[in-house]
Order: sequence, then C-alpha cells, then structure tokens
Amino acid sequence: MVFPRRSAVYMLLVGALVLFLGPFGWLLDTALKDPSELRALPIHWWPHHPSFSNFRDALTQIDYLGYARNSLTIATLYAVLVTLASAWAGYGFARLNAPGKRLIFSVLLSTMMLPQVLTLIPTYLLFAKMHLTNTYVPWVLWGLCGAPYLIFLFRQFFSNMPKELEEAAIVDGCGQIRIFWRIFLPQSWPVIATSLILSFSWTWGDYIAPALLLDDTHTTLAVKLAYGYHNAHGAPLGNLVAAGAVMYVVPVLALFLIVQRGFVTGAATSGLK
Amino acid sequence: MSTDQITVPGAQSPSGETAARPGPRAGRHAGRRARSLTTRRALSFYVFAGPWVLGFLTLTAFPLGYALWLSLTNADGLSNNSRFVGLDNYREVLSDPETMSSLARTGVFTAVTVPLTIAAGLLLAVLVNQPIRARGLFRTLLYLPAVVPPVGAALTFKLIFDRDSGAANGVLDALRLDGVSWLMDPYARWVLITLTLWGAGNAMIISLAGLQEIPKELHEAARMDGANTWQSFTKITLPMLSPVLFFQVITGIIAAVQSFLPLLISLDPTPRGVTAVPEGNYLFMIHVFAQYFANGRYGYASAMLWVLFLIIIAVTFLVFRLSRGAVFYSVAPESDKPSRPRTIGGK
Repeated sequence: MVFPRRSAVYMLLVGALVLFLGPFGWLLDTALKDPSELRALPIHWWPHHPSFSNFRDALTQIDYLGYARNSLTIATLYAVLVTLASAWAGYGFARLNAPGKRLIFSVLLSTMMLPQVLTLIPTYLLFAKMHLTNTYVPWVLWGLCGAPYLIFLFRQFFSNMPKELEEAAIVDGCGQIRIFWRIFLPQSWPVIATSLILSFSWTWGDYIAPALLLDDTHTTLAVKLAYGYHNAHGAPLGNLVAAGAVMYVVPVLALFLIVQRGFVTGAATSGLK
Repeated sequence: MSTDQITVPGAQSPSGETAARPGPRAGRHAGRRARSLTTRRALSFYVFAGPWVLGFLTLTAFPLGYALWLSLTNADGLSNNSRFVGLDNYREVLSDPETMSSLARTGVFTAVTVPLTIAAGLLLAVLVNQPIRARGLFRTLLYLPAVVPPVGAALTFKLIFDRDSGAANGVLDALRLDGVSWLMDPYARWVLITLTLWGAGNAMIISLAGLQEIPKELHEAARMDGANTWQSFTKITLPMLSPVLFFQVITGIIAAVQSFLPLLISLDPTPRGVTAVPEGNYLFMIHVFAQYFANGRYGYASAMLWVLFLIIIAVTFLVFRLSRGAVFYSVAPESDKPSRPRTIGGK
C-alpha cells in the first residue's frame, strides 16, 4: 500500500520525530542549566551559560559510580547466566524428544502470560527468610533458570538448523551436551547477542526487584536515580536529576544504536513467528 | 557403517521394526542402538529442560502457592502470629471502595492506552513502510524512546512537566496561557498517558514486521481493480495484520494492568514512597504497593494480586473469544502451517 502524497508522509514523519525526540532534547537542555536558570521566569529554552558541572555534581553528590557498578554487576551476571541457561533449555525443546515435552512446553509458554508482580511479594519473603536480600544471589538464581521468552527465542533458532549437523556428530560418537556446546551454540551468535542485550537492558532498567530486595547501599542506579538528588529541604534538584538520567540512559541508547541493524525486528517480533 | 547412518535420529520406528524381526546381526544391533538412542535422547531432554523446570517449580510455582496461602492469612510482616482468615481478604478486596476505584482506574487506563498505542504504532509503521528517503533512520529514531528504561523515561517526563522549569508550561507561557501543575490532579493522568504513548515505537516495529509480510501482489491487484488507498488499507492491510494487532492487544493489556509508572513519575524523594501519587494516577499496582509497604499488609496485597491475575485470565479469554472471526490467519504459500502459529496464547 503506497500513500498518494509523499510530501504528506514526510510532514507526518517529521512531526512525529519532533514529538518523539523532543523529550531527549529537553533532558539534555536541563542537564546543561545551572540551578538559577531552572528557576528563571519566563523559562530559558536554551541554557545561557551551558556548563558540564552538573554532570560532575551528579557523579559526586551520590555515589553514582558505586550504584552504576551495582547495576552493571547485576545486569552482567543475569545477562550471561540467563543467556546460557536459555540456550541450554532452548536446545532441549528444539532438538530432543521425551514424554511430557509438550506439557512442559505449554507450561513454559503460559508463564510468559503470568504477571511478574504476582510472585514478587512471596519471592521477597522467601529470599528474606533465606537471608538473600541485599545480595545478588536472587539474580544468579533467576539467571540459572533461564527466561521463557529467551528460551523460546533459542528454540526457534535451533529448530531451523539442519538435521545433518547433529547426525554427523552422533555418528562421530558425540553426546548431546557436546553437540549443543560445540556445534549449535557457536552457530547461534545472532541469538546470543540478542539475548544478552535484551536481558542486560531488562535488568539495567528494572525498578521493582531491586527496590524490594536491596537496601540503600546495594541498590541499583535505577532505584537511586528515582529519588537520589534533592536539597536539604527534600526538594528534587532538577538539573542533577537530568544529568544523572542522561548518564543512565545514554549507554543503553548507544548500545542499541550500535547493534540495532537487524536486531530490532528480530527481537521485537520473534514472539510472533 | 551404512546401517549406522540409517538408524540415526528420526528413524526410530522403522529401525524398531527391524529389531523385532529376526534378521542379520547388523540389523538387530542397529535396532537396539536406535532404541537406546531414543531413551538417551529422552534423558538428554530432561537434562536440558531440567534447570528451567526446577527454576519454575522453586521460583514461580512455589511463590504462587505461597502467595495463595498468604492471601488467606492476615500476615503483616511484623508479628509472627499471622493466622488463617479464610476468604476475608478477598471479601475486603471486593468491598473496599479504594481498591475497587483503583481497579476501575486501571481498567480505564488500559482501555485508553492500549488502543491508542496500537493505533499510533500502526500509523507510524505505515509511514515508515513507504518508499521514502532515510526510512531506516526514521524507524530507528522513532523506536528510540521505547529503549529508554522506565525510570529514565519517567524522570524525563517529570522534568518536561515540572511546574516551574518544565517545557510544557514554557509552551503555555509562550502562548500567553497560565502554567499548570501537570504532575498533580487533574492533569497527572494525561502525563501518564503521554508517557505511555512515548513508547509507541515498540508497537510500530511489531506492526512494521507484520506489514512487510503482506504480499505486495495483493495491493497491486486491488489497485488494478480500482481500489483506493483507504479501501486497500481497510480491506487488505487490516485483515492481513489482524493477528499482529491481536498479539499487541493481549500483551498490551497484560503490561498495562501491571503498570507501575505512576510510582515513578509522582515519586517524592523517598525510596518507597507511594503517598505522593495523585489520585488520578492511583492505579491498582500503586494500591498494592501502598498496602504492602506503607501498611505491611502482605496477606491483603497478595489477595489483590490474585484477583488481578484472575482478571487478566478472564480478560485474555474474553479477548480470544471476541476476536474469533475478526482475526484472520492466512496460510503461507510455501508451507502448510498457518503463518502465525498459536504461540500467542500458548494454546
């Protein structure tokens, strides 16, 4: 289907771009203003004396790098473990057969519909009883189990690989674990990359789990950013919030822009195929 | 050597037959091997699926059961003598006006944002699917907000809609209109809806993938027959896209009823503050967190979540029923499978 008027298409698209990118502009704009400019009336559309001191203050007023390290640790731990575990389970669902497989697979699919929050309160209580709050063990455990969505992604990919790969290996006396590890896994780099990026950004962006499970020193950047910058009276400091948010968001956007070619549609639509 | 190759995977039943029949040693040998291969493959399956099954049992099924039990008690996290109260919590969920109003608000929020997001995503998808310059760039840039983590998005919108220093009031001021306290009632709900729509790039990408699977010949044939753009959109694009749109309705509803974005845009500077959420944005999840954190009512909060879960199941089921006939599943020419398998509902 082709639109009759191409100029109308451009106009609509440029309008949408302004609306969609405007918020980024304002975030950056605010991050460059000093506190007096934030109070200026009428508002200053552009900072009259742009300076980068907000970024320095945002890093020092809270232990920004410490919280960033917490986020990074949790997100990396989870992303690596969940990718391996999901590839592992995905291989089983794609290439092997056993009684009960259909049932297990339909349970797996239906857990994708399960609201995550439903299990969060009891999970919190359980982890608290086991003295696992304020540790990163929960993320290790979650990672080791794999995530249904990623398992599904790997299953789809492995299902489409030619049977001959496996057959030749079996003739050579390879076990399934070796076939998975030596033949299938090394061929699945596109899915591995997708899975790493998705799971990393889920954890980097997650608010609720760290807010529940971690105290003020162990928590992640996402939680600390939401309430970390305020003056002695408890009023939020907009320019520092903005600078902190820029530094929090930019790595995610940069990562996305680097890998977006071929990644976006694959990741977003794999649930459909 | 050659018998070995015949017996390898996928040929279990023929080789099993060979084994039952008295035959040359090689054949019987191959049959036994095939059978043991089948068992070994079954065992391997359990080895591969095992970690997930174990994780599901301990980290999903068990907490679910625990949540069910909690919802039948008056557990508050402080005293250790929580006791069984039967269905009292559920009775309270249904009779507490605050719970019911937050539930109703969540329903309205879902009913507004899900169709709006899908429609906006579809419009953008059609636009970036046109043969125009730099459409790859348009796609990437429009998708960008969907990548921003929720906290980052919420903070950005807090800055835009700040009463004193925000761009929104700057625009009003430029138009010689009075500024507004956007983050408070009655405007807060509009900020929340706008924030949700900012992520429509996600819907765009999903619809775009759907659009690209529609064979071009269909539109060409329609044009030959004299159909205009609108007819070709409503008679071809929409029906062909209906499974994709349906998928978005289901996942959109599930995500929207669980939304905790209001917590982030209205947050006062305390880690777990829920008191500062304006009434218009006081959604069901916010009420759950308030009961849970502020009042320590684990039992009641669990009952609320179970009610939410049942509602999700009911609504999903209803959407499935209502869409029967409206969702068009085409059969891909190169395979005899429907091009959109039933992975959506896991059914």
